[in-house]
Amino acid sequence: MIEDLPRTDGANASQLQALVRPGRVHGDVYTKPEIFELELEKIFHASWLYIGHESEVPAPGDFVLRTMGRQPVILVRGKDGIVRVLMNRCRHRGALVCEVERGREQHFRCWYHGWTYDNTGRLTHVPEPGGYPSDFPYEEYGLSQPPCVDAYRGFVFASLRGGVKPLREHIGLAAKMIDLMIDASPIGEIALDMGCNKTAYNGNWKLVGMDGYHPNYLHVSVIIARAKREAAAAGNKADAEFMNAVSWSDASESVTRDLGNGHSMLDLLPHRMSTVDAYLAELRELDGGAEYIEAMLRAYGPERGKVLLAMAGDPHVGLFPNVQLINNHVRIITPIAVDKTEIMMFPVRLAGVSDAINDHRLRKHESFYGPSAAGSPDDAEIFERTQRGLQARVDPWIDLSRGMHREYVDADGSIVGKITDEVPQRAQMKRWLELMSAPA
Amino acid sequence: MDSVAGADLLREVEAFLIHEARLMDEHRYDDWMALWEDELLYWVPCNEDEIDPSRHVSLIYDGRESLTQRVWRLKGKQAHAQRPKSRLLRVVSNVVVERVTGDEIEVSSAFVLGDVRNAVQTVYFGRTAHTLTRRDGVLRMKRKKVMLLNNDAPLGNLTFLL
Repeated sequence: MIEDLPRTDGANASQLQALVRPGRVHGDVYTKPEIFELELEKIFHASWLYIGHESEVPAPGDFVLRTMGRQPVILVRGKDGIVRVLMNRCRHRGALVCEVERGREQHFRCWYHGWTYDNTGRLTHVPEPGGYPSDFPYEEYGLSQPPCVDAYRGFVFASLRGGVKPLREHIGLAAKMIDLMIDASPIGEIALDMGCNKTAYNGNWKLVGMDGYHPNYLHVSVIIARAKREAAAAGNKADAEFMNAVSWSDASESVTRDLGNGHSMLDLLPHRMSTVDAYLAELRELDGGAEYIEAMLRAYGPERGKVLLAMAGDPHVGLFPNVQLINNHVRIITPIAVDKTEIMMFPVRLAGVSDAINDHRLRKHESFYGPSAAGSPDDAEIFERTQRGLQARVDPWIDLSRGMHREYVDADGSIVGKITDEVPQRAQMKRWLELMSAPA
Repeated sequence: MDSVAGADLLREVEAFLIHEARLMDEHRYDDWMALWEDELLYWVPCNEDEIDPSRHVSLIYDGRESLTQRVWRLKGKQAHAQRPKSRLLRVVSNVVVERVTGDEIEVSSAFVLGDVRNAVQTVYFGRTAHTLTRRDGVLRMKRKKVMLLNNDAPLGNLTFLL
């Protein structure tokens, strides 16, 4: 198969290993088009990717379009109620069979020659069938499907390569973190049905990581604003030009974790537990807030319920290579070119809570995330500055060694560092190297 | 005839929108803030124009408090996505006074907005619905909804005023 031919001028395992050393990574990993092509082949076209959430397609026929690397797919709930991932490509001459981004359809039709498929992917109509012999195997000409498709609590994943390890094993320790998001609902149910922010930046896809070192600098404007608000509420005047939030410093009890398989997180539980009372007071001011707190404690018990309330559905976890659950949204990372990336952010609606709570969460999301907000644009800006900076080649290595001397392995097997440490970046590159240097 | 307004009101409204455009282009945040009524809504829908903002994400959904925060941040030196600042020029046209009800004037208009930053030029198109009111004889903005033509596409840096 053409697919299996090396596309990278002889890049092989040892050449790749030379680019990823302990605590440092060569700039080529972020800037070389050849490396990017190999990433598509070895990572995005060959391992588990997040596709979407079942709540995006609640009724039979509901679909959304996605891409797996460069390959167009349809996430669709069939008339049989089953959610499938179908390749968006007519089996006849290869045109898209679905050209609108979302909707509800009984059929997908290729308008080139009229081949028509039902919403389970079955080929149901071929115009002028006399052009094929009577034993033409129409049943084998349904829309193709990735060899592996599975879901964890509504989060649908697929792999374009068969024989990958089971999804549950791939997700591993991150499953509990996905639970933190879903179980912020007292009935354990979320819906990604509030639209999505779509943004693009001119930088490499790997730059969107889990980083607890940057907020005090990159997001200092937001941190000062929050400090001023809190000071004003307490009757003080905060006038510092520059202010460090303790929660993003080495004094924080929060940690970074490498969860294995390239997944990593900022484990903010200690900080969130220390501020849970203020958060509960904020909730109580909302319509249905007190009832929500009550329902959570009833559903999950006082201890777990309090943890879930404190976390507010924000696991701050990234699953390699293309999905992150951050704050109140699920984020899909789509690589477009070595220096161009698209991000989709889907705010999460909690089921079983008042509209006022979801409204409040949505407004909070909008204040920090999206192309006009106070956070995301500064992230995108620094990724673009990084992409441009990496063109300087005198010392081509970037340093990811922060905290290597103080990281340790926790009881659950995760590797733990301070919140400012580069444990997540090392986790990402470890998995990257493993997949990139895997035999074809 | 599209407009319900007489020529004087239309001319006054057009002059107001052109003045507002200049303040936004020149990042004159305080002057722009002074155009607003106390109770305000500055809204830029996301994905499509007609959404329920409590059930669908917006790019911007600011009342006075969050708009004050936004402007405070943009005026500072640490809004990195505006360092350097966008160089902006917008052309406002197709101005129609849609309705005059009591002291509210509903206006629709269209804009073409050029943004040059780091030597890259980006062009945006959009429609704006203003609800204006008059205080002390002067027009002010009560509500503003900006419908970007590409609000369903991946967007870059939109941290300037729209």
